[in-house]
Amino acid sequence: MRLARLVGLACAAGVLMTMTGCGTLGVKPWQRDLLAKKEMALDANPLDAAIDDHIYFSKEAASGGRGFGGGGCGCN
Amino acid sequence: MQLKKKSPTPLRLGLMAASCALLGSPGAEAQSVPDGEQPLLIDTGLLYYKEDQGRVQTIEPVVRLKKDYGDEHVLGVTLTYDSLTGGSPNGAIPAKKVQTFATPSGTSLKPVSGVPQTYTTPSGQVVAALAKITLYSIQPGQLPLDPNFHDRRIAADVSWAQPIATNTNASIAGHLSNELDFDSAAVNGALSHDFNGKNTTVSAGLNAELDAVKPIGGAPVGGTDYTQLLKGGNKSKDVLGGLLGVTQVMSRHWVAQLNYSYDKSNGYLTDPYKIVSVVDGTGAETGYRFENRPGNRTRQSAYFGNKVYIAGNVLDVSYRRSKDDWGIQSNTIDGRLHIDLGNDIYLEPHARWYHQGAADFYHLYLNQADPLPTYLSADPRLADFKATTFGVKFGVGFSGNTELSLRVEQYQQKPTDTSSALAGLQGLDLNPGLKTIIVQLGWRYDY
Repeated sequence: MRLARLVGLACAAGVLMTMTGCGTLGVKPWQRDLLAKKEMALDANPLDAAIDDHIYFSKEAASGGRGFGGGGCGCN
Repeated sequence: MQLKKKSPTPLRLGLMAASCALLGSPGAEAQSVPDGEQPLLIDTGLLYYKEDQGRVQTIEPVVRLKKDYGDEHVLGVTLTYDSLTGGSPNGAIPAKKVQTFATPSGTSLKPVSGVPQTYTTPSGQVVAALAKITLYSIQPGQLPLDPNFHDRRIAADVSWAQPIATNTNASIAGHLSNELDFDSAAVNGALSHDFNGKNTTVSAGLNAELDAVKPIGGAPVGGTDYTQLLKGGNKSKDVLGGLLGVTQVMSRHWVAQLNYSYDKSNGYLTDPYKIVSVVDGTGAETGYRFENRPGNRTRQSAYFGNKVYIAGNVLDVSYRRSKDDWGIQSNTIDGRLHIDLGNDIYLEPHARWYHQGAADFYHLYLNQADPLPTYLSADPRLADFKATTFGVKFGVGFSGNTELSLRVEQYQQKPTDTSSALAGLQGLDLNPGLKTIIVQLGWRYDY
């Protein structure tokens, strides 16, 4: 249950950040030049990420995080 | 008159970069393209994966297509083919004598014509009902690997994403895969909403998966004596999961993502090919038991990902914490640095550290004198271990629309529990860990 509490706190912090802090955290439209670079996309290499997820899913007990937790494979 | 393609505004790309990896689904990822019809993206990879000591090796070609029909209506298709061969640990520990096993995997269960086979158990019992089973022997001190393991897997993923309201996108994706002994079908859907000047994206998604487990030779009755080969028919399991995410543009140089995921599996979660060694008080093998896992499992994870622009390079660093009701907790730290070398050339070093605790029902071996537990497994993937990955990717762009890349990595597992105080097991490495080489060739083309 400790993880649940941690996750709850993290989510609450995220929501709080979203509700209150974003005005100071965000950027203006004209400040997005660096964010627009393809390397800055959170999923800049989806093929690599999918291959990595498959490898780690087959060799470890934990999976997912970025997305749903693996699956679709009888390897584990 | 030439129509000029609508160019992405920094605002839009920044927002989409913040939201795209939301659910890890092709549909969610598709949000990262700007308005206006886009060329077809073809992204291909050829993976070569090889474990040491003659264990599993894989060759896996993957083709990913992405087509934007304009206004963020995006179709994604990914096709994967896996070919696996090599030796797979059967769960038994090494011993100081030759051990003999019957292979239940691959296609080696085909009848061996004219060659009646018997199997002598460690206690001397001769089992004669194994005429259709190929036997294999493991030399003293060696980790028991089923050398006949092979499989192939074909998988298809299709996704569609589109806006459904101002600042709100929806995606739906489906998955189908087939293996020699396993079929899987899954669907997932996600919604994301942008606000706060498109600096913030909140997301939610649901996933449902249904699997058919068709073990070669049938699914063993969990916990029973291996030599009795009590087996049933095919099995199934299902997985239902949800994911919540918040993505935030933190500054001109930094975008962050926080996800929470929860999923629950029900059904046959046991590995039908894994057994557990049983030893006496001296450490001598007295037999084996089929493993047996609980019929349900609940997992939770929290993931914190970041992209940070630093002096022309991009740092991707993430942390994941997960826990399940099998007693397994894990921590993962992953980092890679995209170094722009100029002239469309880049280098991307990668490091990953992972640690997991053992499942409550994990046993390196069972002691014959102890009561047989209800749930038992010696699967190394349920053990306490640390794992590291080190590697580098090298990419070169051509003509503004083509990229070739090569990725080379080494992945290594180091189990914590590898020895025993029992005299008969002294000097044996009971869980030798794993070392793998990963090589991936990539070719990406924008038509």
